[in-house]
Amino acid sequence: MSEQGFAEFTPLLDAVESNERRYVPIPGLRWPQGANIAVNITVDFDAMLLRRLLNEPPMQLAKGEFGGRVGVWRLLELFESHGIRITMFTPGRICELYPDAVAAFAKAGHEIADHMWEHRVPAQADVERAHLARTCEAIERLTGRRPQGSRSRHNHELLQEFGFIYTSHHWADDKPYFMANKRGRLVNLPFHYSIDDAMYFSFSWQNTENAAQRITDSEKVHDLWRDAFLQQHATGAGYLNICLHPFVSGRSMRIDMMDRLLTFMKSRPGVWFASCEDVARHCIDFASSHAKGA
Amino acid sequence: MPWKSGYTISDERTVQDSDIHWPGDRACSFTIAVCLDPPCGPEGLTPADVRTGEFHYGMHAGLDALRALLNQHGYRATFLASAVVARLYPSVLRSLVEEGHEVAAHGYRREDVSQLDAAEERRRLQLTTEALDQATGARPLGWYSLARRDDKFAGGAVSPNTMSLLIEQGYTYMGNSPADDIPHYWVTEPETPTAILAMPYYYHFDDQFFLLFPAEGTGLEHADSLGRNWRAEMAAQHRRGRSFVMVIRPYTITWFHRMKVLGDFFDYVKTLDGVWNATALQCAEHWIKEFPQEKTLRLKPGIWKDYADSLS
Repeated sequence: MSEQGFAEFTPLLDAVESNERRYVPIPGLRWPQGANIAVNITVDFDAMLLRRLLNEPPMQLAKGEFGGRVGVWRLLELFESHGIRITMFTPGRICELYPDAVAAFAKAGHEIADHMWEHRVPAQADVERAHLARTCEAIERLTGRRPQGSRSRHNHELLQEFGFIYTSHHWADDKPYFMANKRGRLVNLPFHYSIDDAMYFSFSWQNTENAAQRITDSEKVHDLWRDAFLQQHATGAGYLNICLHPFVSGRSMRIDMMDRLLTFMKSRPGVWFASCEDVARHCIDFASSHAKGA
Repeated sequence: MPWKSGYTISDERTVQDSDIHWPGDRACSFTIAVCLDPPCGPEGLTPADVRTGEFHYGMHAGLDALRALLNQHGYRATFLASAVVARLYPSVLRSLVEEGHEVAAHGYRREDVSQLDAAEERRRLQLTTEALDQATGARPLGWYSLARRDDKFAGGAVSPNTMSLLIEQGYTYMGNSPADDIPHYWVTEPETPTAILAMPYYYHFDDQFFLLFPAEGTGLEHADSLGRNWRAEMAAQHRRGRSFVMVIRPYTITWFHRMKVLGDFFDYVKTLDGVWNATALQCAEHWIKEFPQEKTLRLKPGIWKDYADSLS
């Protein structure tokens, strides 16, 4: 009798079962040379494009423009001064607005990856395909290389078809894992909002009301992110994917904050600063060499 | 950058730190903007908005306290006043100018101009210029459009015509643009090119977003974060040799612990070598002379290609 009472839960069970099939952990994942943590610094180069997409007013676009004409160059200098490799996720359209900046990141050895054509994934499959193809071409034209990863809600089968090996979007674990799809699987490098600069500093982010504004200071965020780093470092095979927007973190005070944070991270043993692609390829190799029977 | 109308307002890359210089080889510029206008809605200042004790305080005891602190440090500031404030307190504005401060225009009645047609916006702009001219004895050369406290966005509202009208009406600079952290050229016509100088503004250095924001009684107090932002940005901009602009209000910043945050910040600035305290106008005039548009603005033609399935 009680089983009948739970019949209405069947759709919930189905939802969870589909998750169990979809999210595939990488048991015992370790990093090269036994590093204690892999750090992916990721730069989402939206500039004013998302503001434009949302039809926001001129001063909001100008706020985004800071990222393209000022912030992105400061981030490039910061990463070069620390000798670390990072991943830039760029909308394809940005290649027409800030080609010099995107090319400069690629030339400096950073990875350039997909962040949608114009910061949206179209609902129609043929338009989605056209957008993805156009973004891949735009990035390849500027950098000489097609993107290997995507930060987007793009259809995973489509991404596989285009040769992508990873996504960095959302989180079902604090460590990298696979996401299965009909064509195979992609690595997902989890990205969490609590280590995303916009959550702390970008007014009206995600349509937030004024009573929920993001107007904190960089000292406080520095301390939170240092503790996030230490928490993962202590696990012995930690992972941290810090998301920076050039129009947010390119402000002088925040460049100083990231300079202090990177200096602190480098003072700890076993920190692997890598591009997302490097981490994804390591995950694929690790999983295949540690698979049962391998 | 490859120019794209509707997306970009200036060129692809800012002026590099090493190329910037300030009068007398000073290290950086430091501008204090003081907004006299009280909070209001998108319709602009109403009798209810100026009948508050808050506004009265801001034009009397609060303003006295702020002027005393500025004078104690020898700082000159840019005071922002709408036509309403100019008509209500002309003698206050005149006395500020006599003390060496600048008075800049802050709209007709702080209303939202984003939907106005050009003729109506021009009319209000001319009336505002006239009101400030009458109050201070000289026409204003700077124009601000800061966000109202309850606005959806923190950048301030302008219309598609605002910048062109400011050029037409002989303004030297527009006071609040978040597209850079030094003065920069806001392009209205890329072909000629025509532009107005825009002064840097960022809401993380504006007191209204930190002090019982969004409203007294229900908002949260983050005076400590405001002070840390001021200090961190001032330190960084001083080292880079760029600009720092803060925005304060006599009816918010002069209370209790907030006054200490401000005083401590001014004391901190005193420990830095070669800070050039300039009004926005002084800073703008230096920039136009040393970094004129013809030499500084490097617009590249657009490479944007339109597609039927994309934004234009």
